[in-house]
Amino acid sequence: MGNKMLKRNDMIMMGIVLLIALISLGFFFLNKKEGSAVIITVDGEIYQQTELDQNNTIKIKQDNGDYNEVIIEDGYVWMTDADCPDKLCVKHNKIHYDHETIVCLPHKVVVEIVGGEENTVDIIAK
Amino acid sequence: MKRVVTIITVIAMIFNLTACGSKAEQRFESSFLELFDTVTTIVGYAPDEKTFTEYSQMIYDRLEEYHQLYDIYHDYEGVNNIKTINDNAGIRPVKVDQKIIDLLEFSIQADQLTNDNVNIAFGSVLSIWHDYRTIGIDDPLSAELPPTEELQEMAKHTDISNVKIDKEASTVYLEDPLMKLDVGAIAKGYATEMTANYIIEQGFINGMISVGGNVRTIGTKFDDAGSKIPWSVGIQNPDQDSTQPTVHILQLEDMSLVTSGVYERYYTVDGKRYHHIIDPETLMPSELFQSVSIVCKDSGMADALSTSIFNMTLEEGKELIESLEDTEAFWILKDGTYEYSTGFETYIRK
Ligand SMILES: [Zn+2]
Repeated sequence: MGNKMLKRNDMIMMGIVLLIALISLGFFFLNKKEGSAVIITVDGEIYQQTELDQNNTIKIKQDNGDYNEVIIEDGYVWMTDADCPDKLCVKHNKIHYDHETIVCLPHKVVVEIVGGEENTVDIIAK
Repeated sequence: MKRVVTIITVIAMIFNLTACGSKAEQRFESSFLELFDTVTTIVGYAPDEKTFTEYSQMIYDRLEEYHQLYDIYHDYEGVNNIKTINDNAGIRPVKVDQKIIDLLEFSIQADQLTNDNVNIAFGSVLSIWHDYRTIGIDDPLSAELPPTEELQEMAKHTDISNVKIDKEASTVYLEDPLMKLDVGAIAKGYATEMTANYIIEQGFINGMISVGGNVRTIGTKFDDAGSKIPWSVGIQNPDQDSTQPTVHILQLEDMSLVTSGVYERYYTVDGKRYHHIIDPETLMPSELFQSVSIVCKDSGMADALSTSIFNMTLEEGKELIESLEDTEAFWILKDGTYEYSTGFETYIRK
């Protein structure tokens, strides 16, 4: 009987430890996701801020007619369309890591990831 | 005067235990879009955001000065710039700031070093390509190639010895009235180098300046424990459809990395791409490489070399690079093959 009690207590103890572990793990992941934002600025002003883990299509329409379209899908962000002359923003690689950016220079649009997966490069030469 | 906004605040906090005792240095990043028709990014360490913003502003102000002086397309009130020199070709010498004379002398030396493969007196040929490219990008259906005769005619007006610099009078005169200067292959890197040297004097000793991907590292960065480690600088993957944005990551300390590539500035005629790096011999875009990357100390030299090596064969380029001290190169050939100078791989992060 005593032995059994001990075992049950052990089980409960293990259960609690596991629960705490799961909660903290969940908390960690929730926190991490919460920190992963996609921030879109136009001429230095925030146009829209959204979550990296939320699939989304964002149309950026400026008063002067300038147009860009951004897609967020499965943690990656890219520019699908723009009516800028050079289309460099549309050609740009998909971004995913912390502080990566896509810039449309003619439209002064900057799409930036803040707080995503840690970036292993400080900058890219091109 | 434009005020620089520190867009990104603290990325990481480290405790920098240096000789001067325990001092907290934070990492910051700022960027702006106004200069050299590109994105400028500054990364670095400072005790607080205010100090970092001051450094960023100083860098902005200095770069803006170079931007105006080295501009070939726009006039600025009260400023004689490279465009002023071009506008007065065959007419009169133009009195200019010492920063222009320094750039021109640096460029002429670079041209001699590279066997005339980065000639700043090539502007009349480059401006034809520039105009056709601009039209072709704006309206792809009416994209055309420049007529060969026109290019050949203008190539007669590219003799760099017709650039007359009078250092005492601080003037520059283009003796050939049809000549134009184009410093696009060198000015950004040179301005970055000069600005880096200036900001180091002001006490910004652990940082990085990237003017449109012309990267100049200053000192080191710090790891989480506060130890000095080199900056990690990626080289752009020419395949922009790839989810892998870089092909190599280099570890750099006080060094510059400049890549010349053909994947960004080009236009398409009859399904074929024509990019912006023009071979001075064929007067056509150089066809051998997708990109050439140069690592060396001086960002101006890295810029000049990346363009000139792009215009040389692999063999010629290798010969030149091997003859230069502390200078390395990395080629991505048209078929995707990688080629390296002998010491390049020591910079690659394993
Ligand atoms: Zn764009």
